Amino acid sequence: MGSAFEDLQAVLKKLPGLGYRSAERLALHLLVERPERLNALVEALRRAAEDIRRCRLCGGMAEEELCPVCSDSHRDASVVCVVEQVVDLMALERSSAYRGLYHVLHGKLSPISGVGPEDLNLASLGERLRSGDVRELVLALPNDVEGEATCHYITENIAGEGVAVSRIGFGLPSGGGVFYADPVTLKSALDSRRSYS
Amino acid sequence: MILRDVTLQNFRNVAEARLVFEGRRHFFVGANGQGKTNLLEALGYLTALRSFRTAENRLLVREGQPEAAAAYTFEHERFGRTRVTLRIGSRGNRTVHWDDERVSRLGDIIGRFPTVVFSADDIQLVRGAPGLRRRWMDLLFSAVDSAYFQVLQQYHRGLTARNALLRERAGAAELSAFEREMAGPASRLGKAREAGLRELNVSLEKAYRHLGGEDAAALLELRKPGSAAQAPEEWIERWCEGRDRDRQAGATQAGPHRDDLHFGLEGRSLARYGSEGQQRSFVIALRLAQADYVRAGTGLLPPLLLDDVTAELDGGRRERFWALVAGEAQVFATGVMRPELGDDAWRFCRVAGGTFAWESRIASGECGIRTAQ
Ligand SMILES: [Zn+2]
Repeated sequence: MGSAFEDLQAVLKKLPGLGYRSAERLALHLLVERPERLNALVEALRRAAEDIRRCRLCGGMAEEELCPVCSDSHRDASVVCVVEQVVDLMALERSSAYRGLYHVLHGKLSPISGVGPEDLNLASLGERLRSGDVRELVLALPNDVEGEATCHYITENIAGEGVAVSRIGFGLPSGGGVFYADPVTLKSALDSRRSYS
Repeated sequence: MILRDVTLQNFRNVAEARLVFEGRRHFFVGANGQGKTNLLEALGYLTALRSFRTAENRLLVREGQPEAAAAYTFEHERFGRTRVTLRIGSRGNRTVHWDDERVSRLGDIIGRFPTVVFSADDIQLVRGAPGLRRRWMDLLFSAVDSAYFQVLQQYHRGLTARNALLRERAGAAELSAFEREMAGPASRLGKAREAGLRELNVSLEKAYRHLGGEDAAALLELRKPGSAAQAPEEWIERWCEGRDRDRQAGATQAGPHRDDLHFGLEGRSLARYGSEGQQRSFVIALRLAQADYVRAGTGLLPPLLLDDVTAELDGGRRERFWALVAGEAQVFATGVMRPELGDDAWRFCRVAGGTFAWESRIASGECGIRTAQ
């Protein structure tokens, strides 16, 4: 255990996008430079921690048991789009090109970083498919080697008989994912999805 | 492509030099360690944005200096008269400016300013490990075709993932997912290599007959020690069958990453049965074929950088060698002694202690030395 300041800095440094220097700046800002902001932040974090959770169905971000997409009865529940991260879901929602539901894996298979199937939100995808409502699975995973391998894995091990599997990725920046594509590209990628096996 | 001039600053042992290249053939004479090869190293650096002698860029910076710099002016088939400036920091960090604009992705330079280096060490391509030959082939095909490079990278990412899975004893489902991702690239690599070698072989055979002075067929062949698989499905099957053995070895035993190039002369192994002279002629012919290949694939005529290559050749081969390189391409050659070149298109430059002095064209014996500044 170090000092309180060091502990805070260490915790901040683990957040995505923050290195040692930016974690230090953030900690100093909140504690010393503008301490009046600290209470608002703590309160916002506390409320968010209570109210925001993973959607029980898709793994997206929800304030109730289900996220707004899953609880929207106008969405087409027979199509499920599999994405790597919540930000990918958000990007697809912004494009308004898609009317089905989602499933967020929170990662992709990556043996080099030690990420295996059990580390991904795959078990609940299997359950959803077995429930029988889903007719089509759209894989919107990055078109790099790990994203493609994850697609193979899902096709061969999760998607059973009676579910059509298609892949978008054509037209998306190579090695990149849904998050980095603009709405027009996303729409054309969705329109030109190809069946996958 | 013609190199019009080059300016070096703190590059290896060269404190500062500006060399203007008039004509096509230049010969640099000097004792070893004076800077001849350092110059060729600088001239060839832009080819793949790396030295042909070392992977450690910081070694190119003159001792005690913060950075090395090289500025080149080209007469380029595609870009016309164009100028490239390279800077290498003492920690090996590099920046490139192309016509005064900073190149943000250094990879974009690769393949645009090709040269072909001939070195006495090339003999290692015959005698050394398969990895050397594979690397030569991959660098050449990547420089001419960026799609080849992408497929190669894709394959290696898949391979690295599969090897990690093998070591952590992952299950068949995960292995299968990555094997399927490697299979397409493996198949495409195989096809691209076969096609590239066919093209290289045409030039190689011709160059060898000229240079070797014997009517013997020189041939490059792809050898696949792990498997003869070609189609993606064949690779998938091969890797699936090999999982147990691969787990034991802790690495994938079959695949394009194990390919070797077999150098054959009249159907016999050059490494095993070739004489010293045959082996040296073969690698020189290989470099000439490489130059043809680059030219056919990119439309660019690569300058030839000849680093003391004739020292080990016998008289007949040496004579034929100089005749062979006296073509259209610009040539930069080095040697400890001034050779009998038999044509007067050559300009000579004396190299000593990192400085360069052109000999004037006035008959030797005159005081016609101009110091390059
Ligand atoms: Zn949901």
